[in-house]
Amino acid sequence: MTVFLLLPSLLFLLVVFVGPLFRYAWLSFHADSVMTGLIAIPNGGANWLRLVQDQRYWQDLGQTLRFAGVSVGLELFLALIIALLLDQRWRGRDLVRTLALIPWALPTTVMALGWRWIFNTPYGPIDYFTNLVGIGSLNILGDPNLTWMATVWADVWKTTPFAALILLAGLQTIPVDLYEAVRLEGGNPLICLRRITLPLLRPYILLALLFRLAQAFGVFDLIQVLTGGGPASSTESVALYAYWNALRFLDFGYSSTIIMASFLLISVICLIAWIGLQILIPTHSESRGVIKS
Amino acid sequence: MKQSTFIKKILASLFAVLICSAVFGLVRARTIESVTFLMAAPFADATRDLVKQFNQEHRGEINLQVVRGPLETEAMSDLAISSLLLGKAPFDGLLMDVTWLPKYAAAGWMEPLEDFFNEKDVDALAIGAREGNSYDGHLYRWPLTADMGLLYYRTDLMEQPPATPEELVLVSQSLQKDRKVDWGYVWQGRQYEGLSCVYLEMIDGFGGDWLQPNNNHIGLDLDPGVQAAAWLQELIDQGVSPNAVTNYAEPEALQSFKVGDAAFMRNWPYAWTELQKSDSAVKGNVGITTMVARPGHSTATLGSWGLTVLKGSAHVNASIEAIRFLTNESSQKQLFLKHGYTPTQQSVFDDPQLLQDKPILAEFGQALKVVKARPETPLYAQISDVLTRQLSSILTRETTPKDGMNVATSHTNQILISAGEKL
Amino acid sequence: MNRRFLIALLLLWSLGPLLWQVYTSFCSDQALIQPFVSNDHRWTLIHYQNVLNANPPFWRYLINSLIVGATSTFLCLVLALPAAYALNRIPRQLSVLTRLALVGAALFPYVLLFLALLELARALNLGNQLLALSLPYAALSQPLAILLLNSAFNDLPPELEDAAKLEGLSLFQRFRWILIPLISPATASTAILVFLFSWNEYPIALTWISDSNKLTLPVAMARIAGSSIYSVPYGAYAAATVLGSIPLVLLVLIFQKPIVSGLTSGAVKG
Repeated sequence: MTVFLLLPSLLFLLVVFVGPLFRYAWLSFHADSVMTGLIAIPNGGANWLRLVQDQRYWQDLGQTLRFAGVSVGLELFLALIIALLLDQRWRGRDLVRTLALIPWALPTTVMALGWRWIFNTPYGPIDYFTNLVGIGSLNILGDPNLTWMATVWADVWKTTPFAALILLAGLQTIPVDLYEAVRLEGGNPLICLRRITLPLLRPYILLALLFRLAQAFGVFDLIQVLTGGGPASSTESVALYAYWNALRFLDFGYSSTIIMASFLLISVICLIAWIGLQILIPTHSESRGVIKS
Repeated sequence: MKQSTFIKKILASLFAVLICSAVFGLVRARTIESVTFLMAAPFADATRDLVKQFNQEHRGEINLQVVRGPLETEAMSDLAISSLLLGKAPFDGLLMDVTWLPKYAAAGWMEPLEDFFNEKDVDALAIGAREGNSYDGHLYRWPLTADMGLLYYRTDLMEQPPATPEELVLVSQSLQKDRKVDWGYVWQGRQYEGLSCVYLEMIDGFGGDWLQPNNNHIGLDLDPGVQAAAWLQELIDQGVSPNAVTNYAEPEALQSFKVGDAAFMRNWPYAWTELQKSDSAVKGNVGITTMVARPGHSTATLGSWGLTVLKGSAHVNASIEAIRFLTNESSQKQLFLKHGYTPTQQSVFDDPQLLQDKPILAEFGQALKVVKARPETPLYAQISDVLTRQLSSILTRETTPKDGMNVATSHTNQILISAGEKL
Repeated sequence: MNRRFLIALLLLWSLGPLLWQVYTSFCSDQALIQPFVSNDHRWTLIHYQNVLNANPPFWRYLINSLIVGATSTFLCLVLALPAAYALNRIPRQLSVLTRLALVGAALFPYVLLFLALLELARALNLGNQLLALSLPYAALSQPLAILLLNSAFNDLPPELEDAAKLEGLSLFQRFRWILIPLISPATASTAILVFLFSWNEYPIALTWISDSNKLTLPVAMARIAGSSIYSVPYGAYAAATVLGSIPLVLLVLIFQKPIVSGLTSGAVKG
């Protein structure tokens, strides 16, 4: 009986999540492009060999990792501050929390046009301010060294509220007495943070970290509309490269290979992040002993 | 009782009238063929009057609708491809850029047209306009406009336009020193297809070749290729072109030349009409010529747009009718006079009245004689992508011309090899 | 640190960019290029006129997104409610494994699925149909939906259902009259989160729909971005941004409670 309840959902999940992975794996060992008349023809590991030698893929991978790493790091940092702020009780808190959620609700492409204007040289407000404080015009969207930072900024703006809410949920599960205990022993807010908040918050930080890392790795909407991958391909991401291979170059075999490789890589990266976080922030029981001593 | 039967009769007759008119309407509708063409925004706007004329002439038979697509060529192609990939494309005809043809043809998306356009039709076209319409022995595209890359120059600042790359730099620098203009030469340096067009003219101008599709010989890393890239980079280094040119597409270059900031500009023929408008600071002081080059190598990149019919269309004959109308002599004259689009029929180029009204037509005709098409291969999108990527690196000083062109060559090789074109 | 200052900073950072777009959307093209033009020539409604009178008109995209959002949410709930209920009734080992798999699926960067889903659309002829989009959307939101609804079902005291069973109510009747009404807060949260997801989704809508009359909001914005033939099109962009943002801002303001509770409970249980 229960099986029938699960079946429809299971079917959808298999078709949408599991099916594609098998399809990609299969397709990556075939040549399927405009040169084969859009028919799949087995070609052994040729696509994989090409991927290994494809400098552009590795450059895109590096750029994507840089984007994801900096973006997620910045987000978590800001999210923690915001969550701490929202955890306290003050008038208008609920309204501020709602307003702070608005960036997260707006579709990326909708606001990307806005960012194009804000970062515009010479007409945007950022340019106005940099000139005002004497830095001069920065050509943010045209300088390969600066454009990626603009994409990070736009991404942090959108996703920090989400991370903040997750951390806030975690903060609200921490019993107040723990803070009291530390205060009685003469600890200051910083010690509270290090010994209590962060360790107890670790599962939530982990959740936010993994979720955001995986999503940031697949960045697509933002890059396509804000920069188109440029300038000098400095903001191109692996998802964008896979998309172009499929829809611009009509090379489905190679696109599948890129997607498959990226999926494997992000799984490994998430694993590393998970382990890394365990090491970086010891659990509450581990740090308890330190306070006592 | 009588009332109810009376009402029933009324209802019945109303019903009958409704059915009859519906059937009648359906029959009428069936005989009107609805043809849809997809065109990039500028062309959709420019052909609006022609479409109206066509629909009036074919009232009751054919109704032509033009769907307005994005401006940017790449976005336009993405849209067309995603429609075609999904199966049934919602349109019958597509206005196609010359570089898409091999790819779309190889994918089997287009209806061959050689049964509809015979030799006489082809001979009526200007020689340069005959390029880029066929692939693999079939005619797939009938040209609407025959664009070519041109060098625009300020006639009020110089007697003769420069003929070689060195001359262009010298003239620019002297004009800039005399403060006659802010910049010498503005062109398309952004990382997109326009950059490939610019580069093609330069590599051919230096005596080289980008790619020969028949033997897959790549000329990017040879001397002419490197010289071309280096020359473009030096334009920025020497201050002949502004730094911002690395983000310029056609509109930005036009804007700069139009307000009088530059002595030279590379652009397509449409810019001529824009520059003669009343808000142009350089109106009446603009001349055109083909790009600077080594003697005898001056080239213009072919940029024509043409109409194709998609395979699976239910209205092939009607579409051909529409295509013929949009590309006939009077339509071409209208497009040229009102929007500056270059014609494709030789007779239009030779029309004495037109030549008198707009002498620039003669220049366009001359330039059309030296057009060069970009490499005609289904892999074009990829190799152009590789090239513009490296060029953009060179222009922004991320790499040297020699290294950049070497990388471009090796990447192009990789693409050709993995596509089975090269071993 | 001064709390007021931080709050002000937070609000400025969160709302500033959007407010700048509102400001830009009312500025004439002249005013945009020359920030110091006198106020007489500064304000205009022409950008909104252009966007609303475009072909197709802007409100069309909002309606398309609404249709897709509603059908996706409905389909998602129809699939997820039974599954969430059943998750508690299967052997312990299996349910732990399933939950782990669902968390994994929820983390998955779904943009990577675009190619396989495009092939699916081609094979089953699902392209250019708004209702068909609800299929992948419902599937992609299953993991989150199942986890949220499952934890809500878990919170219900088991005696409730036992009593209902004793009364002779069938499974369907128990669902209809007892279980679903009792978890309605969680259902509301799930519904609004799925709805927001479908409004925000881009890669699949991009590849499944090419007909300009059927575009959803995010894809339409991207197309507007590539469409302009003017050298400074940012006034029109800003108007489009504002118009596109209004529905979502309203959604957040009206449904703030379910959204917040959905995200926080998802975090706690996840």
